Amino acid sequence: MNKKIRDYILTTLATFIMLIWILPLIWSVFVSLKSEIEVLAYPPNIFFEPTLNNFKDAISGSLSIVSELGDSFLIATITTIFTLLLSIPAAYALARLNLFGKKKLGFYVLATQMIPPMGLVIPYYLILGKFGWLDTYHGMIIVYMTFSLPFAIWLMVSFMEDIPREMEEAAFLDKASRMKTLLFIILPQVKGGIAVTTIFTFMNAWNEFLFAVQLSGNKVRPVTIAMYNFVSVEQTLWAKLCAAALIAMIPVIIIGIIGNNHIIKGLTLGAVKGGGRK
Amino acid sequence: MNASSQQEKSFAILLVSPSILVLLITTTFPILYLIWSSFQNINLSMPSNDGFAGLENYIEMFNDKQYWKSFKLTIVYTVSTVSLQLLIGLGLALLVLKIPKAQWLFRLMAILPIVLAPVVVGLFWRTLMLTPDFGIVDFFTQSIGLGSYAWLSEPKLAVFSVILIHTWQWTPFAFLVLLASLASLPSDLYEAAKIDRASALKRFFYITLPLIRPAIIIIVIMRSMIALSAYAAIYAATRGGPGTATEILNLYAYRTSFLEVNFGYGSTLAVFILIVTISVAAVLYSIRRKK
Repeated sequence: MNKKIRDYILTTLATFIMLIWILPLIWSVFVSLKSEIEVLAYPPNIFFEPTLNNFKDAISGSLSIVSELGDSFLIATITTIFTLLLSIPAAYALARLNLFGKKKLGFYVLATQMIPPMGLVIPYYLILGKFGWLDTYHGMIIVYMTFSLPFAIWLMVSFMEDIPREMEEAAFLDKASRMKTLLFIILPQVKGGIAVTTIFTFMNAWNEFLFAVQLSGNKVRPVTIAMYNFVSVEQTLWAKLCAAALIAMIPVIIIGIIGNNHIIKGLTLGAVKGGGRK
Repeated sequence: MNASSQQEKSFAILLVSPSILVLLITTTFPILYLIWSSFQNINLSMPSNDGFAGLENYIEMFNDKQYWKSFKLTIVYTVSTVSLQLLIGLGLALLVLKIPKAQWLFRLMAILPIVLAPVVVGLFWRTLMLTPDFGIVDFFTQSIGLGSYAWLSEPKLAVFSVILIHTWQWTPFAFLVLLASLASLPSDLYEAAKIDRASALKRFFYITLPLIRPAIIIIVIMRSMIALSAYAAIYAATRGGPGTATEILNLYAYRTSFLEVNFGYGSTLAVFILIVTISVAAVLYSIRRKK
């Protein structure tokens, strides 16, 4: 077959499949720009007079999601900071240092990462309830550490393992203290890994729903539960829901587009070179 | 030398212990608490009955029809979403591999579903895609003459729909991992095979597939874990309904604990989910280790 024609067919086919992946997102943009009446037109209109009213309603007035955005930002940011502070040194020790029971500890971290969220939300509801920590920022941050910390340690270990050993040995010869080695020699080497870990930790905390809906909801309201401002038993405000959902997802979409390469690196880590490792 | 290695050990302990301590308190302790409460009667609507229940909750579970139904559904959901993601992702990766110039664009587009919150994905699909006489999917089936369907309110179709939604969101993950894996394969192997006149199909099964096996296993492991903990998208799309048609174990444990406030039995269901997850992980990891 003619190579050009073949390429053309392949491209068309792949493009068509890919369009399916961005269609709901594109369509949500359309709907968010329609009036609530226009939305109900069927078959759906592609040509209509766009309005920004839904976005206005989503960020001001009684249904505003601004305070929820703030809550999510606060929780996700603090979770990310604590996760990085804890995971980076732990990963360095697990990947590089002589440590008793290292394999067992690594296995323990992996095991904690496997815990299904349903296994945590039930005890946390009872435990946090006893402490009076339900619906508080610190309660939510503690809960979010349960899935971010194991994942972050696991990610950082993979990055630490890639640093050439000569780097640290040279530093030891200079009698630089071990802490200094970690801070000034190792850290700059794993900048990329820290970026990947930051992105994933923030994104996972931002998108979390089960803990948010069950362990918070009145004083503390992560943005994922704010979607339900627009969904009630009587009616769903489709256009406003779309506008609010898009606003809520803007941070992760931006992170996704800018951090595209980092995310793919994080996702494929271990999978591509996994053949070489135990 | 010995002093230095001793010093290294104590430094390592200093670095690793805060994380381990946090994990012990935030994950292991709650799991122990969960196991303890699975042997208790904890019902917030009948607190007078609370107390040690022995194996009562576990016996109730094995006699509970809904539990068996949810368990079966969880297996169907996990197996079908993971295999669909793998098959579609692999097909798409092989396709996009042939168009190197546009790869960056496909990789960029594939990121979008992955970064979205599952609850938003569930809501988008429930409203924009699957609502009869409103959603795009329904519009599409009507335009090609297949008619309109109650995508989320007819039991069998609802199961299909929640599988579709999960597959939609996570196939790009399989696609991206497989694309990276395929792109890293040595091209000289193929050249040699081409000279030997091996057919494209043979090249795929005897060269490509064994080489991307590690990637496939990683995908199966990670996607199974995610499928087994799936919750938000189904909650948003159907809440387990119609009736209990899409109530996988997670949603059943949720309903039992938080809607019927029967935390004892809910804990038992959650312990079971934990056991299933760990067993699946153990089996998959042992397959991975065997080469």
